[in-house]
Amino acid sequence: MRDLPLDRTDMRVRLQPTAILAGATLVVLLYALPYVYLLLTSFKPANDVLQIPPSFFPQRLSLENYAGAIGNPSIPGAFLNSLIVAICSTALALVLAVPAAYGASFFPNRLSGWFLLFALVTRMVPSVSLGVPFFSLMRSIGLLDTQLGLILAHTTISLPLAIWMMAAFFESVPRELEEAARIDGCSRFGALVRVILPVVGGGMAISALFAFIASWNEFLYALLLTSQRATTTPIVISEFKTAYGLSWGPMTAIAVLYSAPVIVLSIVLQKQIVGGLTFGAVKG
Amino acid sequence: MPQSRFAMLMMAPAMLFLGVMVAYPILLLIDNSFYHVELLKPAVRTWLGLDNYIKVLTSERLEDAALRTLRYTVFALFFELVFGVMAALLFDALGAASRWHRTVFALPLMVSPIVAGILWRFLLIDQVGIINYGLAALHIIADPGAVSWLGNQDIVLYAVSFPDIWLTTSFVALVVFAGLQNIPRDVLDAARIDGANAFQRFILVRLPLLRPVIAVVLIVRGVDAAKTFDLIWIQTEGGPNFQSEVLSMNIYQRMIRYGDVGQASATATLFLAAMVILAVLAYRFTWGKNRDA
Repeated sequence: MRDLPLDRTDMRVRLQPTAILAGATLVVLLYALPYVYLLLTSFKPANDVLQIPPSFFPQRLSLENYAGAIGNPSIPGAFLNSLIVAICSTALALVLAVPAAYGASFFPNRLSGWFLLFALVTRMVPSVSLGVPFFSLMRSIGLLDTQLGLILAHTTISLPLAIWMMAAFFESVPRELEEAARIDGCSRFGALVRVILPVVGGGMAISALFAFIASWNEFLYALLLTSQRATTTPIVISEFKTAYGLSWGPMTAIAVLYSAPVIVLSIVLQKQIVGGLTFGAVKG
Repeated sequence: MPQSRFAMLMMAPAMLFLGVMVAYPILLLIDNSFYHVELLKPAVRTWLGLDNYIKVLTSERLEDAALRTLRYTVFALFFELVFGVMAALLFDALGAASRWHRTVFALPLMVSPIVAGILWRFLLIDQVGIINYGLAALHIIADPGAVSWLGNQDIVLYAVSFPDIWLTTSFVALVVFAGLQNIPRDVLDAARIDGANAFQRFILVRLPLLRPVIAVVLIVRGVDAAKTFDLIWIQTEGGPNFQSEVLSMNIYQRMIRYGDVGQASATATLFLAAMVILAVLAYRFTWGKNRDA
């Protein structure tokens, strides 16, 4: 099909692939520039961070900002809280979502239809509308400023996400697989665990990644529900601003430390992430 | 075990969780919206009927916040979509050679809004950020102090959306690119034989076929933009003079700063209802259209 007669527009397009390449490269470089600037700034000595006029490249390299960030007494605890809350809410979301999505997509009926719809509508609920009653609820059961309280709150974000992603992955598994396992003597549950789950392992990994990052990045529930003991990294970052004046140097370092793992993951798993973000809408 | 009972058993734990952690709090929210409840004295509740709703619906500050939410959402969504589709077309024209470009474009895909907000606040900082120096060097503005992006009441609402646009253009671009890849080549070749130029092929062939993808992007991103809290909070906390206060922030302030749980609940209930209705309408509209096609 490539040998079709070309009209003039196509000639122009084909004759200038270098122009397109140059244009695309320029766009991409401009796009990456803000983050690169943050990265470079974080390696400047603290006093150079706000120099006038600003310089893109550091004149001197220094780890002063990183020392300042890690030396902040709230930071290690906050990173640990972020990690624990994200791991636990991811585990909880997956343990609940995998069987639910399996039930809903392998044995669909009216109830499972409503269930999936409710999970979808949950995604539309503004966080603040759940955050307000969460505060009262957590206070009345003594879970305010605890990791458990925040884990439960974060799972309300990751569970609907995981249910829909896993439902999409189960949809692509042939029904015959379950029937064959049953004929071979598996119970219904055994068929899920021994035959179906190994097939959707990749899907579970991507769902887990999304659940983890949803919790890792979450801000509003953490702001409402924690104050000291269970406080997470984004909250401490936001307080760098208010409590310490504008200590921009350590703030750039902490922003890099907090976002670098996520950025590396985004680049490595780019394809799967785009697929997951659209719930398979692209493939229709 | 019969199939239906097994399915029920599989779904029950997740249903229970969503019931306790989503449905019940929403009922609690609606219940609180009919009472006068203070944050510091949760035990004292005075029945108000619809008073909270009347108060918030006649509040100018809420009306302003709602309008700002709308303006913010439309502004951010418009640029995300335009930039995203343009980048996707560029990658598509590059073909396989765009792999490296797309990898870099994936950079901000899952970056926290907090980091994006800090980053852009730094780029625009106190009129001496590097962006203003760049604009001054290009003679677009007179001197680096000429524009105070986050301090000027007239532009702050749009300036706080820059990190949102930066963060999300990559999502739109990569999703639309994937959509473009799924358009069969022979459809485009047929259009070319019929004499359609590149622009006509985009408007008449690709855009209609991209419709479901764009619809999903619009719904997902529209909902997210309308809910925005963290990204704006980290930049301005709603200031100056409330000019970047959106609905989420208005509700948070009613609850935490003014301690009025009742009014915060009434506002949050209205916000929730509006979002769910809008999202369901958009979903049905686009889904219905897809089925016709």
